[in-house]
Amino acid sequence: MFARRTVARVVAQPSLLAAPSNARNMATLREIELRLKSVRNIEKITKSMKMIASTKLAKAQRAMQAGKLYGEANAEVFETAKEGATGSKKLFLVISSDKGLCGGIHSSVTKATRRAFNNAPDSPLPGVSVEPDSPVMVIGDKSKAQISRVYPNNLRLTFNQIGRDVPTFADAASVADLVVKSGVEYDSVVIIYNSFVSAISYEAAAMEVKGEKALKESEGFKKYEMEDDFTKDLAEFSLANALYSALTEAHSCEISARRNAMDNASKNAGDMIGSLTMQYNRGRQAAITNELVDIITGASAL
Amino acid sequence: MSAATWRSTFTFNKYSQITAAAVRKSLKETQRLAAEKRGLTALRYQVWENGKGGEQITLDPTQESDPKKKTAAV
Repeated sequence: MFARRTVARVVAQPSLLAAPSNARNMATLREIELRLKSVRNIEKITKSMKMIASTKLAKAQRAMQAGKLYGEANAEVFETAKEGATGSKKLFLVISSDKGLCGGIHSSVTKATRRAFNNAPDSPLPGVSVEPDSPVMVIGDKSKAQISRVYPNNLRLTFNQIGRDVPTFADAASVADLVVKSGVEYDSVVIIYNSFVSAISYEAAAMEVKGEKALKESEGFKKYEMEDDFTKDLAEFSLANALYSALTEAHSCEISARRNAMDNASKNAGDMIGSLTMQYNRGRQAAITNELVDIITGASAL
Repeated sequence: MSAATWRSTFTFNKYSQITAAAVRKSLKETQRLAAEKRGLTALRYQVWENGKGGEQITLDPTQESDPKKKTAAV
């Protein structure tokens, strides 16, 4: 995003003394000055991005705490509706976002999806084998680009414009609505998202939401008598709940990762400014010394 | 009335969003403004077939924000 200026190095006047063969070409003072100016601007920008992310983090974390309760309530339903016949057609729903400059958030989720597909030992779904033609849906343009390169034929639906602000339940419900209406067949939905470990670390995790069939066939459900069949509604609503919980948590992770990435970038920019300033001052003093030497030798000749 | 007829037209999530919007519109002014924010979604989606994406469809065009209003905030 920030284009690095490639400064053309101009070779300094060849000195009469033999220059060491690996001597760094002396950039002129003008070029160092320009580079210094641009690095200073970049430092300002990354600092302000870090500030913005810090202020957003508090709000995002509060939303995440609230959203997690929805996810826990969901998990309770599936706890009591334990095992039945498990159909194994899984629909993967990968959660990332549209914006960059947030460290490894998007690739973390994409890599977890790849590990799941390869049935690797550190897959987010341990011990579960995944069909290679499992459908995949992606929220967020960044992961969409990555996944469309690796599993283009598994993609069914992609979403964007989520994650600009704290995700709302309306977002989650709309996504769930579209997933159900899309006609893609599945027995359960596996949501892959980044879970918030701490303000400086996150890790990819998977949340499984059983579909209507699995709920109906499970032991706990058979104990209830229902006149109208609401299982489909419950399955859809629990998908929206799980999505909301995962969306808010992923949003929090993204903001904290962006804060950390911009913090590191500012530190690096600060270091670069320090070393460039040293170089500039040395160059300036060398130029002054050369001029003095010229004047003095000239004066001594008179 | 026994079974509701909305089930044939839309999913439960859509039904709950419609009813939620109705509740939000009925609130008093201050509470309504706070609640309206919770119902916003600028979602867009794309249907993919054979590794190729279709065109982007905006779910609710009325909520699209003004494209001229750009901020530097990420």
